[in-house]
Amino acid sequence: MVTRPDRDGDQQLRLLDDAWDKASQHWQDGMARRFDTGHVTPLLRESRGYLEALRKLMDTLEAAERDTEG
Amino acid sequence: MGPTAERTGVTSVHADIDALKGLHEALVRYRHAQREVTGRGDEEIKVVRASLEAKAGRWRARLEQCQAEFGACQERAARAAAEGPAAADGPVDCSGYARAAEQCAERLEQIRRWQQRIDAEASEFGGTASRFGDLLQNDLPRTEEHLLAIIRSLEAARRVQAPGS
Repeated sequence: MVTRPDRDGDQQLRLLDDAWDKASQHWQDGMARRFDTGHVTPLLRESRGYLEALRKLMDTLEAAERDTEG
Repeated sequence: MGPTAERTGVTSVHADIDALKGLHEALVRYRHAQREVTGRGDEEIKVVRASLEAKAGRWRARLEQCQAEFGACQERAARAAAEGPAAADGPVDCSGYARAAEQCAERLEQIRRWQQRIDAEASEFGGTASRFGDLLQNDLPRTEEHLLAIIRSLEAARRVQAPGS
């Protein structure tokens, strides 16, 4: 069964979040904090924004297909 | 430093570098996976747009047919009315054809509304998708490179420190 791209994207985001949690358990100096605020946090924020927009659009596409069947 | 402490120190040194290497691999995998996600998202929009266009085409053809049948019925009704009570077919009722044509027009209009809504939402989504695509294409590789540089500098520092520690 083919899953929706937004759901696969959410799954990938969770994996990245987990990887960052794991890394930050061993890396807690100033460089780690700068990497977090300068790279990881913006990446996760942009990703969440994109995936939320994609989810809404996929919902609309599914509704359009359903509503115009027959 | 005793052997136990030394072993612990070495383990800790490897643990942080290994964790950063794991993070780097996760970032690379994430970039590839999300690029596939964005491609599938774009493809899904194209597929549904094409599907709606095909449905609109079918309903346009049905509407034309319904209107033609309704028009023909109206002509028969007009002839029957002109002939008066002597008309062979009697009064002609075209209400069924009128309803059918109306239903076809409504379905077509419904599809058009969905097309307009999808155009508007896809256009709005395009800005977000473009920013995210740019992040995957440009920013994330730079982040990966930056992390690699950190890993290399940590490894180099540990190599320098190792003989004297």
